[in-house]
Amino acid sequence: MTDHFDPITIEIIQNALQAAADEMFVAMKRSAMSSIIYEVLDMGTGVLDGDGEIASSGAGIPAFIGVLDKACKVIISKFGDDISPGDVFITNDPYHGGVTHLNDIVVAMPVFAEDRLVAWTANIAHNSDVGGMAPGSLTGEATEIFQEGLRLPAIRAIDAGVTNAAVMDIITTNSRMPDTIQGDVWAAIASARVGARRLESVANKYGVATFVEAMRRFMDYGEQVARAALAELPHGTFSLSEEQDNGEVFTVHVTISEDEFLVDLRDNPDQHASPTNTSRDAAMVSAQMIFKSLTAPDTPANSGSFRPITLLTRKGSTFDAEEPAAMGFYYEIELRLFDLLWRCLAPGLPDIFGAGHFASVCGTFIGGTHPDTGRQYTIIEPQVGGWGGSQQRDGNSAVFSGFHGETYNCPAEINEAKNGLFVERMELNTAPGGEGKHTGGRGIVAEYRVRSDDGYLTMDYTRSRFPAWAAHGGREGSPNYCEVVSAETGETTRYSAVSELATKKGDLIRIVTGNGGGLGDPRERDAGAVALDIKNGLIDQQTATEIYGPQD
Amino acid sequence: MSAEQTVRLATDVGGTFTDLVTFETDERSGAQRVRTTKVDTTPQGFEQGILNAIDDGNVDLAAVHHHVHGTTVVINALTERRGVTVGLITTEGFRDSLEIARGNRPDFFNLDYAKPPAFVPRHLRREVPGRITHLGDERRPLDLAGLDDILDDFRIEGVEAIAICLLNAYANTDHERAVVEAIRDRWPEVAVVASHQITREWREYERTSTTVLSAYVQPPAERYLNQLQETLCERGLTGPTLVMQSNCGVASLEAASATPITITESGPASGFQAAAALGRLIGEPNVLALDIGGTTAKCSLIEDGQVRVVTDYWIERNRTSAGYPVMVPVVDLVEIGNGGGSIAWVDDFKKLRVGPQSAGASPGPASYGRGGSAATTTDANLWLGRIGREDFCGGGVTPDMSAAEHALTAIGAQLGIDATGAARGIVRLANDAMLNALNLISLNRGFDPRDFTLVAFGGGGPMHGVALARELGIAKVVIPEAASVFSAWGMLMADLRRDSFRSRVLDLVDEEMATIAQTFTDVRIELDENMMADGVPQDAIRHEYLARLRYQNQEHTIEVPVDEDELNGGAASPIIERFHDRYEAEYTYRLDAPVEFVGVHITGRADAGRPDLVDEERVDAGSVEPSAHRRVDFADEGVFETPCFRADDLRPGHKLDGPAIIEGAGTSVVVHPNCLVEIDGFRNIHITLTDRA
Repeated sequence: MTDHFDPITIEIIQNALQAAADEMFVAMKRSAMSSIIYEVLDMGTGVLDGDGEIASSGAGIPAFIGVLDKACKVIISKFGDDISPGDVFITNDPYHGGVTHLNDIVVAMPVFAEDRLVAWTANIAHNSDVGGMAPGSLTGEATEIFQEGLRLPAIRAIDAGVTNAAVMDIITTNSRMPDTIQGDVWAAIASARVGARRLESVANKYGVATFVEAMRRFMDYGEQVARAALAELPHGTFSLSEEQDNGEVFTVHVTISEDEFLVDLRDNPDQHASPTNTSRDAAMVSAQMIFKSLTAPDTPANSGSFRPITLLTRKGSTFDAEEPAAMGFYYEIELRLFDLLWRCLAPGLPDIFGAGHFASVCGTFIGGTHPDTGRQYTIIEPQVGGWGGSQQRDGNSAVFSGFHGETYNCPAEINEAKNGLFVERMELNTAPGGEGKHTGGRGIVAEYRVRSDDGYLTMDYTRSRFPAWAAHGGREGSPNYCEVVSAETGETTRYSAVSELATKKGDLIRIVTGNGGGLGDPRERDAGAVALDIKNGLIDQQTATEIYGPQD
Repeated sequence: MSAEQTVRLATDVGGTFTDLVTFETDERSGAQRVRTTKVDTTPQGFEQGILNAIDDGNVDLAAVHHHVHGTTVVINALTERRGVTVGLITTEGFRDSLEIARGNRPDFFNLDYAKPPAFVPRHLRREVPGRITHLGDERRPLDLAGLDDILDDFRIEGVEAIAICLLNAYANTDHERAVVEAIRDRWPEVAVVASHQITREWREYERTSTTVLSAYVQPPAERYLNQLQETLCERGLTGPTLVMQSNCGVASLEAASATPITITESGPASGFQAAAALGRLIGEPNVLALDIGGTTAKCSLIEDGQVRVVTDYWIERNRTSAGYPVMVPVVDLVEIGNGGGSIAWVDDFKKLRVGPQSAGASPGPASYGRGGSAATTTDANLWLGRIGREDFCGGGVTPDMSAAEHALTAIGAQLGIDATGAARGIVRLANDAMLNALNLISLNRGFDPRDFTLVAFGGGGPMHGVALARELGIAKVVIPEAASVFSAWGMLMADLRRDSFRSRVLDLVDEEMATIAQTFTDVRIELDENMMADGVPQDAIRHEYLARLRYQNQEHTIEVPVDEDELNGGAASPIIERFHDRYEAEYTYRLDAPVEFVGVHITGRADAGRPDLVDEERVDAGSVEPSAHRRVDFADEGVFETPCFRADDLRPGHKLDGPAIIEGAGTSVVVHPNCLVEIDGFRNIHITLTDRA
């Protein structure tokens, strides 16, 4: 280095950026009110530079890492010079930097040192109810975003340390769960403050010039890592069209060259009247996730990591929806895109990409009255499912989708106590599917017995008709779906999507998630592995012989 | 037991060394003597190392009042997969809980993540019908009709230990007890452990994992502990052997054998227990304890003389693996892969890194001259003069300075700096990693490090302690007299201790206070029974009551101390107020929301025969002459011609000014400029930072 910055100091500041994001994550997790935040960890934290570029991020969900920069940039362009120490901004609207859906509230706080705006701390978390036409705010019935809850279009909630009580009152009044949203928003604010305090002290200690330089170089480092990996990838254009569960066809073209990762989504259907749309920003997050997995999964993700990406979308399409399209289930579309990019690139990159996974968030919303306490409960949970076999090994069983990461399922014991239903079973899905040289992992079968009369179920799963895709001669996985067994009639009804289905005492909700796709010809599977599958009750002897060939 | 002399013995088997400490008290004169011995650990049979230490230290086992033992046998059996075949019995519908786990994928950009495999394969995870509700009521009766078949299969498969974890057993243990009894009737030889014997906290995956891991190590741990006691008895030991647990207390050999998972972190726990005991002894109740070893650094926070004990502990968990939960009381600690042997390297993008790879003891740092070519933190400290060349490795080794220079120069060349610049960089980055760990254990838990005294030990603690204190704004660092065998010393200062937990959700309101008080009483009775079974008289047990509280609908709780009078008084408000205050201190805000009681944590302690240490008289002449001078590079403050002292020359009451180096067996105390050093009556080194703002 020929400049005057000490490389060790730069390194120490960069470590602090990561530490601050991690500290924010812990602070938020430990004080949040909703299980969707503290247990499912449907949240993310990050540190951004003065221009709103992401410099470091906490654990949590990969799909949230690329959100915070987009939110901060909207806040910066809206407020310009009118940003003061102690301010806290909030946005949840995908048409105003919120990227995802109205349930996800982004909280951002500027960091000042030497009288200069040097950084931002920000976080995002799923709030259990932000108003709108349905409990939990998410419903397949919504046709406009106005029906999906309160819109907070990048606003100042705390002005130089003074809380805008009106904003807080509006937020709590609009929620069906006012105490919860109040607690969760304050947990988010506390988390942003924890990070800001840490960064302030680092910037003041080493000086703003060095601090800013360290941030800049950290993002350049992210870019160098990405570009080095990009240069090693096979170059060319990869294309894929895939039919979706609803009969529509989604199409991607990916062109990998020396210095660019170009994703072209222009050739896709118009935006939907249902809430199955994403903003362009959310589509970009899918491209960023797959690019990161492809280039440098083991190094920090920051805005430099994503610089080689170019995204082409068409306004008014399902991947670049225009106001006032509903966005509630944006995550399934984002995940469809992620899976589509994965599948598109898999044949050309067999060492990195295995077969497809169950590839649905399997967002499940169950509510009602707790029979022991009389209080309302709301379960908002993604589901775990099977991952595809890879060149190296069998796929994982019961892991959250590629959209999620450091995400936790809800223990049955907590579910029973807190939500007042019985969990009758929670086991691996032993349905056929995913056979191969390396098998797909197993999905799950979870059964919830409803204990009171006034309940509801909302869910919207994809890969319900077309299961996880196979690779190199393996077999497809199995589908994701829900069944409801009526206590009154004994009838079983199967759903891939349903909104506010009324449930009664004694009804059984059965959640089934798919097995991942198999990889390689099943006849090449190791005989010992097949024998163990049989012993473990994952396949019967006869089926094993049919698929894997005669066993010695 | 000898009438003239009481001997207390501690042995601590670590990965590399087996430490022995004896504490001898002459009953007539009251004179005390602490003797320490360090020998190589003997992995083929750990007892041999202990016997070697006993021989080396000339310990008369017949005179030993009691023996406290710390061991890595459990953590080794877990991480090296040297346990037994386990069969699991669980509730119908839940055999896969162990494999489903929590579904998380910490290495989230890696699409080929490998989930940690379950310790029990699916065919050995078996189910019995029967359901208990979360309120502890029986919803469906237990049906053991299939048990014989299950046990037959287990026998065929060579199962040596059975774990039982039934849904909601935290609320009612009847079904689990019935399964245990039925197995004992049918198969008395097999090891059996049920989840309620370990904990009564909710979360079935965590409880199942804990029970399975305990069963997995139970037969080998029991064999090891029994054999140890037998061997020592043959050599004349008549007193009991107590075992150091992860909760910083000791338990009887029998209790540790029954649920060995409670001694997993025996080693680190004894170090932190030592720091807490030292703090109480010298009037420093609030301590940040830092233990820097060869491959890792660990730290813990001690508040008001007590370690903090938590139950969210995992093995093999890191940024790339979900690991395995162990829901037992473990001292709250943060561990990082950064120790004296950590290797410095430069990545593809010219960034200097330190660790987590370690040179270990062989080949060791470059300067060991054993063929290691990698530059380590130890090499950097040596190069900068922070470790004396004459005193390297306790004086036993002549450092290979040219190997150190070569290694450091190679690092520097990649960064465009010289060997000294590289050494400074390594020390600063190592300090930064440790600083981050200390922040995690203090700031992240809602504590201000400036309110604490830093106690630094292990081989590297005394070298880095002062620089870290300066960064954290800490006013004082204490280096314990027995820094290199501090853990074993701490075992002698430990109490018999048991932590009991129970999940029970109730609104924290006056109307529920009677139930809450009753829950405490139930748990206290169970705890007392367990301790009495360990031979502790009931009236000798000291209790600490902690209520686990949260705002309604939250999940994570904070522990708030309560007392019996308050519980019986029937008024919730004082407890609620204390909760609000503690919550705000930790999270910066308070809510006007109802408070929920989520469970009980009771700590029971009893004296295990802890010696009373004598405070020696201070010498009048407060100063001492250095044994040498040399140039020392302090990395941050620059280079100083620095006086060096021998720890053996220092007496209670001696004072000296920084910069200084104090060299003792196996470690070097780096005293930076603007520090005052004073030796206390127990020969601990107190370093006060005088330039603190």
